[in-house]
Amino acid sequence: MSVSAPVGDPFDALGDPNRRAIVELLGRGGRSVSDLADALPISRPAVSRHLRLLKQAGLVLEEAQGTRRIYQLHDQGVAAVQDYLTAVWGDVVGRFTLLAENTTPAELP
Amino acid sequence: MIEPLRLTYQLQCPADHAFEVWTTRIGAWWPKGHSVSGTPGTVVVLETWLGGRIFERATDGAEIDWGVVTQWSPPRRLGYTWHIGRDPVQATEVELTFVDLGEGRSRLDIVQTGWERLGADGPIWREANLGGWAALVPSFRAAATIPLAD
Repeated sequence: MSVSAPVGDPFDALGDPNRRAIVELLGRGGRSVSDLADALPISRPAVSRHLRLLKQAGLVLEEAQGTRRIYQLHDQGVAAVQDYLTAVWGDVVGRFTLLAENTTPAELP
Repeated sequence: MIEPLRLTYQLQCPADHAFEVWTTRIGAWWPKGHSVSGTPGTVVVLETWLGGRIFERATDGAEIDWGVVTQWSPPRRLGYTWHIGRDPVQATEVELTFVDLGEGRSRLDIVQTGWERLGADGPIWREANLGGWAALVPSFRAAATIPLAD
């Protein structure tokens, strides 16, 4: 298994209908690029490009089986989603913290 | 059941003050533009009692509900439903606990639950059951974040 640190946004990765279709196919089991291309109305190079984005978002893993490369869903994909949510909360809490830490009760109305 | 989201933040202020700012001053710190209406001058209000509403009031006076206060234990704990921009039946739940650490410091623990309710009344959930968790993912963002007006 090759695992690299996710760098992409999982929500952006899933914003494309072809990538969602790939994820749904992989949800039923690992497949090669050509398996995926056969099942979808897009070319092999297009499938490869989508897989690269899904890998970068931490949603898909790649595994060598003999001479074939099999792609499968990352069990920890939900963790990628949680990382994203954590960042979103961080933005909200960041604004809150700025005000809370720079005011005193006396300054509140 | 989808695992709750659990987050912890360290604050350089007393817990009482943090609670007060989160609740009574939400309109001052809530990220600008993060609202359903998206109009400048939109006001965010959190009614500080059990059953109180969290809502935005647009400049034309229209009020749009984001959630309802379900736990009210000042100055330590606050809970509310959260369905901003979505149907109330798809609300997630947010619980905030402010822990005082002394010496002017505190900790904020946030737990968000109820993710399985997302899309429960619609095709998203059915699709999710067929295709695994992936189809549900876009709903996570919708529920955790705020519609960012264009």
